[in-house]
Amino acid sequence: MDSERTEEYLEAIYKEQSKGEPASTSFLARDLGVSQPAVSDMLKNLESKGLIDYQSSKGATLTDLGVERALGVIRRHRLWERFLTDVLGMKWDKVHEVACKLEHVDVPEVEERLAVILGDTDTCPHGYSIPDKKGNVKEEKAIPLTSFQALQRVNILAIDEGDSVLLRDIEKKGLKPQVIVTILKKNEDGSLELEAGKKRIRLSAKLAAALQAKPATIHQTDVVKEETPLSKLIPGHSGILKEYTGDRSLLGRCLSLGFTPGSVVKMIENFKSGPVLVKVHDTEIALGRDLAEHITVTRNETA
Amino acid sequence: MIEKINEKTIVVALAGSPNTGKSTVFNLMTGLSQHVGNWPGKTVEQKTGVLRRGNLTMNIVDLPGTYSLTANSPEEQIARDYLVKEHPDVVVAIVNAASLERNLYLVAELIELSPRLIIALNMMDVAQQQGKKIDAKALAEGLNIPVIPIVASKNQGLDELVATIEQEYSQPLGSRELKHIEYGSDIKKVIDHVEQLLDDSLTAPYPKHWTAMKLLEGDKQINKLIMGRVPPGQSSSLDSYLRENESAAVTIATLRFEWVGKMMAATQEKPPLGRVSLAEKIDRVATHPITGLFILLVVLGLIFGFVYSIGIPIQKFLEVHLIDNGRAVVNTIFLSIPTWIRSLLADGILSGVGIVMTFIPILMLFFAAWAFMEDVGYMARAAFVTDRFMHLLGLHGKSVLPLALGFGCNVPAILGTRIIDSPRSRLLTIILAPLVPCTARMAVVTLIAAAFFGNQAIFVSIGLVIFSLIMLIITGLIMNRFVVGGEDSALLMELPLYHLPNPRIIGMVTWQNTMAFIKRAGTIILTVSIIIWILSVVPHGDINTSTLSQIGKLLEPVGRLMGLNWQMMVALLSSFIAKENTIATLGTLLSGQGTGLAQQLRTVLTPASALAFLVVQVLFIPCIASVAAIRHETKTWRWPIITIVYQFLLSFSIAILVFQIARLV
Repeated sequence: MDSERTEEYLEAIYKEQSKGEPASTSFLARDLGVSQPAVSDMLKNLESKGLIDYQSSKGATLTDLGVERALGVIRRHRLWERFLTDVLGMKWDKVHEVACKLEHVDVPEVEERLAVILGDTDTCPHGYSIPDKKGNVKEEKAIPLTSFQALQRVNILAIDEGDSVLLRDIEKKGLKPQVIVTILKKNEDGSLELEAGKKRIRLSAKLAAALQAKPATIHQTDVVKEETPLSKLIPGHSGILKEYTGDRSLLGRCLSLGFTPGSVVKMIENFKSGPVLVKVHDTEIALGRDLAEHITVTRNETA
Repeated sequence: MIEKINEKTIVVALAGSPNTGKSTVFNLMTGLSQHVGNWPGKTVEQKTGVLRRGNLTMNIVDLPGTYSLTANSPEEQIARDYLVKEHPDVVVAIVNAASLERNLYLVAELIELSPRLIIALNMMDVAQQQGKKIDAKALAEGLNIPVIPIVASKNQGLDELVATIEQEYSQPLGSRELKHIEYGSDIKKVIDHVEQLLDDSLTAPYPKHWTAMKLLEGDKQINKLIMGRVPPGQSSSLDSYLRENESAAVTIATLRFEWVGKMMAATQEKPPLGRVSLAEKIDRVATHPITGLFILLVVLGLIFGFVYSIGIPIQKFLEVHLIDNGRAVVNTIFLSIPTWIRSLLADGILSGVGIVMTFIPILMLFFAAWAFMEDVGYMARAAFVTDRFMHLLGLHGKSVLPLALGFGCNVPAILGTRIIDSPRSRLLTIILAPLVPCTARMAVVTLIAAAFFGNQAIFVSIGLVIFSLIMLIITGLIMNRFVVGGEDSALLMELPLYHLPNPRIIGMVTWQNTMAFIKRAGTIILTVSIIIWILSVVPHGDINTSTLSQIGKLLEPVGRLMGLNWQMMVALLSSFIAKENTIATLGTLLSGQGTGLAQQLRTVLTPASALAFLVVQVLFIPCIASVAAIRHETKTWRWPIITIVYQFLLSFSIAILVFQIARLV
């Protein structure tokens, strides 16, 4: 079994090399907060174990064995992050640090149970893909948001997870992975003006640099992650409740039945002009069409 | 009686959401010692009962089922007012382990108002079947409240629950530090600000912090109370502050669910996601507008088939053996007692109340079928399927249940409208219920149709049922549009999990409903039967010269328009007491020729007037028991009177029309 230190090196090298470059000693020293000579020593050690190829002029790249180990660590890291947010209800800006510690627990059963509990999630809360058990990654081609042109519609894929202050600021703007935004204007100071849903957002250069995105396809703009009245969901589809805009006198009843923002609502029966049947917080609830028309959800998936 | 010194009586309140098995727990704890009444000033059922354990007597109060303690409905208001004003010694929250997340929401609210709280984690078996592993100990530790896993339907864990109640009571108040919900600092500031605008005397008997939260949650009742008490200068600032912070209601609820989420994480292992449960698959069919409606019709058909094929022979048997033989016995054996007492017994009581009682087996079967459907969880699905039609009449999906029950008897139908939470839909359902042709009316229809229409009688009977329902729909449209004021309220109801029927619960519910019917309807019918008997014998002891016949003769001019003579009018009037009285009255009035009733009828009616009579009979004013039920449920005389006047005019005008047309054909 690799030591924690080894795992951290492998992880850092993997992330750097997946951007296209071998990981240099200076980069690793900065990233891991150690001196350059210490890095060189460690890299030589790793090379002797057959985990990396190391050339002191260029830097380090992982061998196949190294990649496999690195992906294992990354898989555990991202699974833990998901667990911390989805199951323990922690905020996404705090989970990276904790997951850095938990990722080193390499007990296959724990990893398996985690995957079962989390079900079919395939990304971490910050939008990065979780490698599967065999080490396959479906990493989507993401480029920094700042590289897009004005008036382009883009799908945010991932957000740099290291800086929790940054993450909190991004959350306040209502941005998270899978949100679709249109870039309205690129300012000279590097800040961006965006439109998300019907809201206008101004993003400082610093925040913009933390976001990775890809061009939104037409299909996605129409079907995925789009806001819609609950009454428009097709049976089998689900959405995340955004807000209730109907009669205030019914608000209390809706809330106590579990229609709170952020709750997952699954449509079970929806036929023409009649009432709809949904599942929310583990219970089936029938509600009149008028009511369903006044509940906004963000579509969660395509069935 | 010797009073023991250490004898103690405590009050235990059962709280919980609907569909948690709360009434099962209540039934198990109290057995048959229950008292069923109404909460003061409300048409919400109040059930209390007694449980004795050694020297300790527990008075158990079943609070109405609620999802929260914000006064969105009378039930919620009753539940929280009881907790605040009556200070029960121990509160037991009945929680459905199979939908723990939703149920803990109410617990989050109960914690604030109940110093001694115990959680009964019911339906552990159902949760297990669904692959949910629940750690009761972890929940108890997380909440710092005793948590007792039980399976009420199998009577498991109840002893431990009762023991825990006793044990909790023995602890001094405040010995347990309750873990209140931590609201985030943003919302706390808002709550604190509202609290500063209030003081304790203003909010009494409600706690100040709690009142502040309810104001922010938009609780109308609390808002009205506080706005009425706040000095005029202050009320506008409070009001505007609440308006500014309208979104607090959502935040508070969301934080509560977040708290619930944390408790869930510690308590329940998540079952694997992404699985479509069997219930969901069944519901795709059972709630589908086409297949669901088909299933509903089949189910109703089976229920009616079951009830009538078993119930009618029993009714006939009772009628012959109890009533007819009873009359014969009264008239032959008790020869020593005065004639008028014999007449009162035979013609007044046995023919009036006695006949009504023979319908009780049919009603019991209906109640049992209904309790069965409710217990397996199908009722709410039926309500969902019919909601789209019911909506057009201003009714609620749930209206279909009492209305269908009305085919048995209108009285339980009217009482059964309590399951409808929208007051307006409920009132409309009450008004429409008397137009459902009940068993008693159909008994009259069957007899008269058979006398006049031979082989066609069955079609005439079915035609009259359909005709009644068309009248019901038309009446619904009229009442919805022009008579009953107020806004239509939206459908919002939980569909409970399907589960296996529990014979004990079904038996208990059937028994309670039947007893309630006998008590409520029996007393009135008995009184009125006696009054009618008196009217039929004064002043000379002969029905042909009695006060009753005078009234009949007074109505004869109207009757002539329908082709009916005064005897028929008296028979119709007597259906006001109980619908099937028509037959008994005709029997009395037309007797003397020594031939069967059918033959005698043919001497006074033509097919045209017989048809008119059937029409007026099915639509005629509701029986006295129904009128009393309407008065009881609406708490005013306004609606019983409107119903009587409306149905009187409706039945007469349509019957006249029918007779005049039928005569030409």
